Amino acid sequence: MKKSSWLLLTILMVTISSMLFTPFQQHAAAQGKHAKTLVMGTSADYAPYEFVDTKKSSDVIGFDVDIARKIADRLGYNLEIKDMDFNGLIPALDANRVDFVMAGMTPNAERKKKIDFSSVYYKASQMIVTNQKSIKKVKDLQGKTIGVQLGSIQEKEAKKIASQVNDVAIDKQNKVTDLVEQLKSGRMDAAVIEDGVAVEYLNKNPDLSGFKIPHSDATGTAIALPKNSALTEKFNEQIATMKKNGDIEKIAKKWFEPKKKASDEKRAIIDFSEIFPSVPFILKGIVTTLQFVVVSIIFGFLLGTLLALCKIGGVKPLRWFADAYTSIFRGTPLILQLIVIYNATPQVTGYKISAFVAGVLTFGLNSAAYVSEIIRGGINAVDKGQREASMALGIPKSAMMRQIILPQALKNILPSLMNEFITLTKESAIVAVIGTMDIMRRAQIVSADSYRYLEPLLVAGVIYYVMVMILTVLGRMLERRMSRSD
Amino acid sequence: MIDIEKLHKSFGKNDVLKGISAHIEQGEVVAVIGPSGSGKSTFLRCINFLEVPTSGRIVYQGEEVTAHAAKLQAVRKRIGMVFQHFHLFPHMTVLENITYAPITVNKVGKATAVQKARELLQKVGLADKENEYPNRLSGGQKQRVAIARALAMEPEVILFDEPTSALDPEMVKEVLEVMKSLAHSGITMVIVTHEMGFAKEVADRVLFLDGGLLVEDASPAQFFAAPKSERAQAFLEKVL
Repeated sequence: MKKSSWLLLTILMVTISSMLFTPFQQHAAAQGKHAKTLVMGTSADYAPYEFVDTKKSSDVIGFDVDIARKIADRLGYNLEIKDMDFNGLIPALDANRVDFVMAGMTPNAERKKKIDFSSVYYKASQMIVTNQKSIKKVKDLQGKTIGVQLGSIQEKEAKKIASQVNDVAIDKQNKVTDLVEQLKSGRMDAAVIEDGVAVEYLNKNPDLSGFKIPHSDATGTAIALPKNSALTEKFNEQIATMKKNGDIEKIAKKWFEPKKKASDEKRAIIDFSEIFPSVPFILKGIVTTLQFVVVSIIFGFLLGTLLALCKIGGVKPLRWFADAYTSIFRGTPLILQLIVIYNATPQVTGYKISAFVAGVLTFGLNSAAYVSEIIRGGINAVDKGQREASMALGIPKSAMMRQIILPQALKNILPSLMNEFITLTKESAIVAVIGTMDIMRRAQIVSADSYRYLEPLLVAGVIYYVMVMILTVLGRMLERRMSRSD
Repeated sequence: MIDIEKLHKSFGKNDVLKGISAHIEQGEVVAVIGPSGSGKSTFLRCINFLEVPTSGRIVYQGEEVTAHAAKLQAVRKRIGMVFQHFHLFPHMTVLENITYAPITVNKVGKATAVQKARELLQKVGLADKENEYPNRLSGGQKQRVAIARALAMEPEVILFDEPTSALDPEMVKEVLEVMKSLAHSGITMVIVTHEMGFAKEVADRVLFLDGGLLVEDASPAQFFAAPKSERAQAFLEKVL
């Protein structure tokens, strides 16, 4: 490689490492008037409890958020909000990643095994939401498929229905938005949704109708805290006070009041006009995704090179290690690796790994396994004579590898490497699971906020496509540059 | 200068060298010839340990050469080598090919290395090619660059492994010319070759190998005029 290429690489590395640290600076910026800060975990796709008004800002707002702010303020804390997938909330609490969770969460026996709950701050009942006129009461659900959010109190409710009515199938989805979309596409017949949330959907979708489930578990929503948290008692005091002085009622009125009905005109299947103001919100995800992808690629590439050297080197234990490493990371799903690293790291080491770092670590480690195989193949494909000529000139092994063999190997494997990088760019969408505010997660939030499912995803799709195209062009340019010696 | 004692080399069950002893003097030009499969290339490659001998000793300037990495490196940079297939570094320009090892291994300053490289390119007749990449050169030009690359390390000996065998016939001459002028400069050369005319004209001594054994060790005049062994006679009959 030429000196100028190394210079370019160095500049790139410096840029990236500076990018790597910006997410932490953003965290540090979440300051307020108090000295101490409480971190609240939530899943901002559950309007009106918690969501992002993506047309206006990136802030998580909603019923729960207002209550949390009030309580935190009264207790003398600033509030920092961490958004993540609903299923990740209890593990996050367990791993001490957040101090408490408010996500329209209902206390139940199963959850109580792992975590504590405050007293109930709001009572909601469950609704059946459907787009079929024939479904008017629970009995009508015979032979139907009903959808619920995975791991939610509604899942319990649906099971109860299934035990009372014949032939009811339960379909579990990750998000309420998924439920509504599945309803519209006819994959399910009805969904169990909490009334406060259901009202929003009913308001915006004239096709949908709903009714309250009689005698549904009206146990209400409570704040989730780690087992034996010192905060539980203080939270309970505040909830009691706010109930008494009418604060909670006031906040509930603000969020749960039915808005004016949407017009009866049929909504177009695809209509971008509504999400158009939210496009900048999704676009902001490019920075996160780019940071994430670039750091992962570089980390994966460096580690992959090291592993490749272990594989072709003469030291047997190193070779075994590298082979085992590759086999494990290629042999298990990426999303599984991601969740394990994100949630297991704090439990095993006590270090609260951020979603960004966990993502980079997972993708880097995973990519390294593939890159190491590509590079190993590339090194083996370099003419044996190159090694002999280097040896005959007395060139030390490390210099020979770095300056004679690897540059030639890289040139040959560039197309395969680019392919790996493109895959990584696209698959980075998986980090949305642990709540990194990347393009995918932002698209999901917009779809929850706008009650429009397809459009935000299409926007995200176009962004990913453009990014991959740019990467492809850059790859071609690099290839051309490297082949000037042909 | 180089003492080779009872050199054996086998690849698996195949015994390629079956005990060769020879001595090479300072400043000598030695041609190693023999039928293909006789072990000439292996013999040459054992001298700088590109092949590790199965048994036997190589003593270079009174010092035994061993497979020990650090020592090997010290010896190798004093022994140049030119390969049949050149093995230039394809991602470096001609000039970079020549200056890389002096700068990296001998820690010569860049300016000095470049100046020396240009002198060498002049010598091999390629002064105008310093910024070309190897793939743009003809075989003969590549081999001349390879010779310049070896010379840039200022070796005491240069080993040539069939340096003209991979060349188109019209390019053989330009490489042999360069080698001839080298021979007159007094550097020690060991050349595995099929160019009998060249061996006859330039070499001080001929080593004839057959079946992994050193069959004859004679002056060219003597060897080509009156080979002692039957095998050498048979060989010469075929090639001359």
